[in-house]
Amino acid sequence: MKQKITFKHLHEIPPISISLGTMDWNKTGTWRYLRPRYVVKTPPCNEACPAGNDIEGFMVLTREGKYREAWDLIKEENPFPGICGRVCFHPCESSCHRREFDETLSIHDVERFLADSQFHAKKVRHAGKIRRKENIAVIGSGPAGLTCAYHLTRMGYGVTVFEAEASPGGVLRYGIPEYRLPSAVVDHEISDMESWGVAVKTNVRIGRDIPFEDLKSFQAIFVATGAHQSRHLDIEGEHLQGVFPGLHILRRIKEGQNVPLGRKLSIIGGGNVAIDVARSALRLGVETVEIFYRRSREEMPAFAGEVEEAIREGVTLHFLVSPLRIVGNGARATGMECIRMSLAEPDGSGRKRPVPIDGSVFTVEADAIISAVGEVPDLSFLPPEVSIKAGVIQTDEMGFIHVRNYFAGGDAARTDRTVAMAIGSGKKAALAIHEYLQGNWSRKKFQAVQVGQKGTLSLRKYFHPVDGETNPPVISFQEIHTDTFEHRARVVHPSLSLEQRRGTFQEVYLGLSREMAGEEAGRCFNCGVCNHCDNCWTYCPDVAVKRKKDRYEIDFDYCKGCGICFEECPRGAILLEEEVR
Amino acid sequence: MKKVIEGSHAVSYGVMLSKVQVICAYPITPQTHIVEKLSELCASGELPAKFLMVESEHSAMAGCIGASAVGVRAFTASSSQGLALMHELLHWASGARLPIVMANVNRALGAPWNIWCDQTDSLSQRDTGWLQFYCESSQEAVDTIIQCYKISEKVSLPSMVILDAFYLSHTFEPVNIPDPERVNRFLPPYEPKYKVDPKDPRSFSGLTPPDFFTELRYQTQQAMEEAKRVILQVDEEYQTLFGRRYGLIEGYRLEDAELVLITSGTVAGTTREVVDQYRDEGKPVGMLRMRTFRPFPSEEIRRALKGVPKVAVIDRNISFGMGGIFAEEVRSVFCNEEKRPVVFGYVSGLGGRDITRETLSNIVEYTLEQDRPKQDVLWPDLRR
Repeated sequence: MKQKITFKHLHEIPPISISLGTMDWNKTGTWRYLRPRYVVKTPPCNEACPAGNDIEGFMVLTREGKYREAWDLIKEENPFPGICGRVCFHPCESSCHRREFDETLSIHDVERFLADSQFHAKKVRHAGKIRRKENIAVIGSGPAGLTCAYHLTRMGYGVTVFEAEASPGGVLRYGIPEYRLPSAVVDHEISDMESWGVAVKTNVRIGRDIPFEDLKSFQAIFVATGAHQSRHLDIEGEHLQGVFPGLHILRRIKEGQNVPLGRKLSIIGGGNVAIDVARSALRLGVETVEIFYRRSREEMPAFAGEVEEAIREGVTLHFLVSPLRIVGNGARATGMECIRMSLAEPDGSGRKRPVPIDGSVFTVEADAIISAVGEVPDLSFLPPEVSIKAGVIQTDEMGFIHVRNYFAGGDAARTDRTVAMAIGSGKKAALAIHEYLQGNWSRKKFQAVQVGQKGTLSLRKYFHPVDGETNPPVISFQEIHTDTFEHRARVVHPSLSLEQRRGTFQEVYLGLSREMAGEEAGRCFNCGVCNHCDNCWTYCPDVAVKRKKDRYEIDFDYCKGCGICFEECPRGAILLEEEVR
Repeated sequence: MKKVIEGSHAVSYGVMLSKVQVICAYPITPQTHIVEKLSELCASGELPAKFLMVESEHSAMAGCIGASAVGVRAFTASSSQGLALMHELLHWASGARLPIVMANVNRALGAPWNIWCDQTDSLSQRDTGWLQFYCESSQEAVDTIIQCYKISEKVSLPSMVILDAFYLSHTFEPVNIPDPERVNRFLPPYEPKYKVDPKDPRSFSGLTPPDFFTELRYQTQQAMEEAKRVILQVDEEYQTLFGRRYGLIEGYRLEDAELVLITSGTVAGTTREVVDQYRDEGKPVGMLRMRTFRPFPSEEIRRALKGVPKVAVIDRNISFGMGGIFAEEVRSVFCNEEKRPVVFGYVSGLGGRDITRETLSNIVEYTLEQDRPKQDVLWPDLRR
């Protein structure tokens, strides 16, 4: 390092004030009383994702055009980006900080784009890497079962998945209409999973084809049989001809079978099944499709976007109406007798309790009636020591039943029935089974790989822990330096026009272009995570921020602690702390 | 090549011949024709320079400073309020020792609005560390611009070439446009000792503590002193190549003069006529035209006015509370002399009022009549 230059004579002094040497000798770091520190915080989207996706991470990669890497990143946590990108209720978007600034990021659209971008990519075969002696049985090949099998297989376990139906996929295959989730997408993601070595034994129903007790040879059993039985209406006339359970109809439509829905269809219920049946019926040419729901629109469990599309497509919704009985002509249903409801104080579920209004009975004519008032699991095959409450298997938060080596997840074990929740429960169970089998079960360990406080966890963190980054706090919107961002509208996902949707089950949403996906990913704040934007490096007046290969370093010999890096970090990934000397 | 052009365009041609690379300007009457012509020359490709249209004179000078700092020849032109707006950066240009050349067309400063000739704008910039040259003719304007690049680049100080509004800027007269080849020989490309260069990163004009500030200022003053020698040397080279020279000052019929009129700018032309008239009448009157104001040619003035009993300084400017600025400076160069002339200070021709032969005659008559001025500031053309 050069020393301070001193001039002894006038003739040594340059004509202008100009640096002749460096200022390296002047260690301005000694002036510091505040100290910047690079930190990683938890982005709110990552915390909100039940499947534990690193959303912030895949946004960075998408912006850089690294679609394969982004897809691989998702696949470390979630084997179903193409499915989640289409049918997830995206709680990530409701917690996106961008919402406070302009509009929430369209995360699901980007996720779907990434999956679509790899749809025709060359398959990589990962199979044949069973390196552990323990074998695990997974009952059910829906999102929970397959996710659990996928992760255990990746960990090196031998996994056998038992599926009662002829094809794997569960609700993904039989419960969600084609216009929302094309079978090709389900096939693709399941076949990709099989490339990891996940084997599904189809047409094997545990309890019918094989007794549950025969699974004793497995070192752990994961039960994920879903909820496929439609709840009964428990009203007179329910068994008349022309009255169908919603799931049954959805399955028949998906299988391409004829469904006798007539010209005027009434659907009872306010969940996703009711909406799915309604929109499917319109596509099949049913002229009048009406939904009857006993609460108001606010209380509908169906996804708001789906309800909106259903209305746009021509479905009529009747709120605060409850059926009293199905009326018929002989054996055939011809309509319903209904009563109007009003909402009273909230019930146990937190929703307002509907109560009948006296003297408001009216009749509705219908050629067919669909009951879609909820689904329940069929758990009759389980041994009696498994505790079942309110129709679902009781587990701890990791899916452990605490009876023998039994674990459970998905719709059979929970009432918040979404694909993402099922995926999350499958993943947790995989980790729980692994820890159980390795004999080092510890709650602390699970906590360390949690992402935020909403119960989601990251396998990437589990397998690739980074020092000091166990579960950093979730960044608040106030910590984002919004001055560094420009307002930009959320991407509008191209979709079929209403006319184009008629008479076809073609997917409604058409996918984003590369440009759209790149722009949308570019809107991401990357909350609390350094994305190497160079702002700190650019603005540091002391040139004390050094750019390293994949990070920045602060040269504390010269950092004066001015805090400009902290102020200029758009995403709150720099902390300013008091200097302790 | 001779051309009949206005004074403004003479400046523009001087700039083109000097191969200026960056012109950064903002329009203001009566300077606008200079940069208009330059923008045309840039647009036509005759002058391969970058023409930056900026939003203020402050930015114009800032642009020139930036260009000059990277070792590029820069030019701007302004007037009056525009020059005043540049004030801060005029100091910066000289402090950073940047050889920028600018033209200033003398115009009165408001309030009230006045667009006509008055030297107060440039003289208000007296202490900014710029060389100042007051031109009498369009020929002198084109020649001075070319000379100034050479002078400025030698002494690392900026130069201001000053023209009277309208009398010179807008008046057409025949001008000998110097031959470009010869100008190239006279004026080599600018090669600064220090320049902003990403390959050799340095900090420029950074905070300089009291330890060194005096020394930098001392060097600037030394450069100003040195400039007197350089101006004359460059003038001589110029004469060799182009046959014209101007000096620091110009004496006219000074021999045995009992009264010398000190002038600057275009009024020198009228004064010559008046001097001739008095000489014809046998009265020993002469004229001394100030061409350089900074550096101030103290020694040259003392020598030229040796033994002259009376001096009448004609100031088209005023420093309120003191008087004409040239008069003040002329008095100061004699203050330590045993024998010194009586200095009569006349403030005349403000805001574009014509200084006529009659005004000048009145000045001569009064000065010859009086032993000493009755007032420090005399107002020969004041309406009474």
